[in-house]
Amino acid sequence: MTTTPNATILSAVEPDITQRIVSRRDAILKGASAAAMTRAALAIGSVPVALAALSREAGAQTMSVTDVLNFALMLEIFENEFYKAVLGTSASAAQNAAFAPVRAAAAGVAGAVPALQQIQKHEQQHVAFLLANGATNLLGLTATSFDFTGNRSAAGGGPFAAATTSLPFLLAVAQGAEDTGVRAYKGQAGNLMSNTVVLEAALRIHAVEARHASKIRRMRRATGAPTQVRYAGYVQGDGLLAAGVSNLTNVPAAVTAAFTAMYAGEGNTTHGGVNVATLSNIPNDIDLASAATMAFDEPLTKTQVVAIVQPFFIPSIPA
Amino acid sequence: MNNEKDTVVISRADQLWDFATRRQFLRVAGLGGAIVLLPSMFACSEDNPTGNGSNTGPNRNASDPVTLDLRTDIGIFNFLFLFEQTEVAYYNTAVASAAFAGMTAEQREIMTDLRGVETVHREFLRALLGSNGVGNASFNQTALSAAAATGAAILRTAEMLEDTGVATQIGFGKYIQSPDYLAIAGKINSMEARHAAALRDVREAAGLAAVGTAGTRFAGDDIVVPSGTYAGLNAKIEYPDALARVSATTFVKTRIEVSSPPATKAGTPDFGPPNPTP
Repeated sequence: MTTTPNATILSAVEPDITQRIVSRRDAILKGASAAAMTRAALAIGSVPVALAALSREAGAQTMSVTDVLNFALMLEIFENEFYKAVLGTSASAAQNAAFAPVRAAAAGVAGAVPALQQIQKHEQQHVAFLLANGATNLLGLTATSFDFTGNRSAAGGGPFAAATTSLPFLLAVAQGAEDTGVRAYKGQAGNLMSNTVVLEAALRIHAVEARHASKIRRMRRATGAPTQVRYAGYVQGDGLLAAGVSNLTNVPAAVTAAFTAMYAGEGNTTHGGVNVATLSNIPNDIDLASAATMAFDEPLTKTQVVAIVQPFFIPSIPA
Repeated sequence: MNNEKDTVVISRADQLWDFATRRQFLRVAGLGGAIVLLPSMFACSEDNPTGNGSNTGPNRNASDPVTLDLRTDIGIFNFLFLFEQTEVAYYNTAVASAAFAGMTAEQREIMTDLRGVETVHREFLRALLGSNGVGNASFNQTALSAAAATGAAILRTAEMLEDTGVATQIGFGKYIQSPDYLAIAGKINSMEARHAAALRDVREAAGLAAVGTAGTRFAGDDIVVPSGTYAGLNAKIEYPDALARVSATTFVKTRIEVSSPPATKAGTPDFGPPNPTP
């Protein structure tokens, strides 16, 4: 499908104008989705209007720059405390003790500990950067605010407990945390456009999280993960398939559900009105079905992200 | 004001680093003048038009110059489109090279995935831009092939292209005006970061690149700011640096002209990716 958006028109079309052209209220009353509105806009021949309709939908969770900074800080503290617990450098002796078995397993894999240390270093730097640029730790999170077994209890014992003893399980969880981080930042870029310094910093952090996710995927593939976990670090497919966790055994249902949520929508192939799964001009020796889902990472809304991470936070995360 | 003051002509990649040129560039850029990147450093200037005779638009002759107005999202996305074309031209050459067969299964999987994904990006941008697209660039096959003579050269060149691509896309983010286009750029950018990290990691594993601390090259201190106020942030460059780096490869024959730079926006300090050493 070939589209011909016009940037001048695009930037001139406000969502409110779009609303008059494509009545959102009517669409919702009829149970229609954003996709249906987009199709309606496409039917009247305007890709810019279709994009603006999508934009209105995507912007449903408008947040201020400060809101985004606070949200990002919360996620970075979570990641930082997770890796510190894994590495045995947490301020909480209990967290360090919990992860001792898997830490010993990681020490037996060449390069694993330095890679995790580098990732943890970056998460700590991201925490510091966000704090220096206006973010507030609203929940007062510390090392003891988390239950990495997913039970929201200082006693642990949740469905992710195997992450403390099994290296394949730990790396799968780390991959999920990094990919969720990538998706969370991606979902907030539009809310940062009014502050280009913060926007650019967030894009730079977003790319670092993607590097982490790539490395963890590569570590997993080298230790038995299925071929959906690409050596190139890509996310292939959607939901549970995209998580690439078929090498794990005795996986609790709650963990399966969490992995499914972490990769929900990753298989989307339509971007800006162009379905890349049906592109022409692709050489025959390229597997388009595979490349089309790998070629784009997808955003998550704050609501989706909070639902994914809440089980690991002992305090409640406000909506 | 005479015409000379409105245009900076850059005929060698290293001129962007030359003090006088750089100062002149910044002054002209500030005046909204034109920056012209001449292909004179390229191996040849063969002109073999294959388009429909037009010198603009999606069916432009591939060898005709491209003019980009970076004040617009269309201009920025055409820049990204040209960059993806360059990557695909190289990866097509790499996977068809004699050296490719001698690479490990893991390395071949990475290069095959990379070529597929970048081809999707290229054709996606062509479709997204539609009649606003600039069409094909033309490439110097001799230079592309020379950079794919060995497996080590393929991985090194791919890493350079990907690290540069990530840093370039990030630099453009603040200039994008449409939230929809920013969202699309974000979806592509994290993919490029994944490739770049994989290539860096596989080069470390194969002993093809120096590394500070073993196991960290995927996001090493040479590509993620290691300390200071901006510690933890990925490399980022602005488009003149990106143009200079692309020019230095000698892969692109098409002359790329920037008629107008983006409107000034506050950002974060540049941190350029290193040129990988053999």
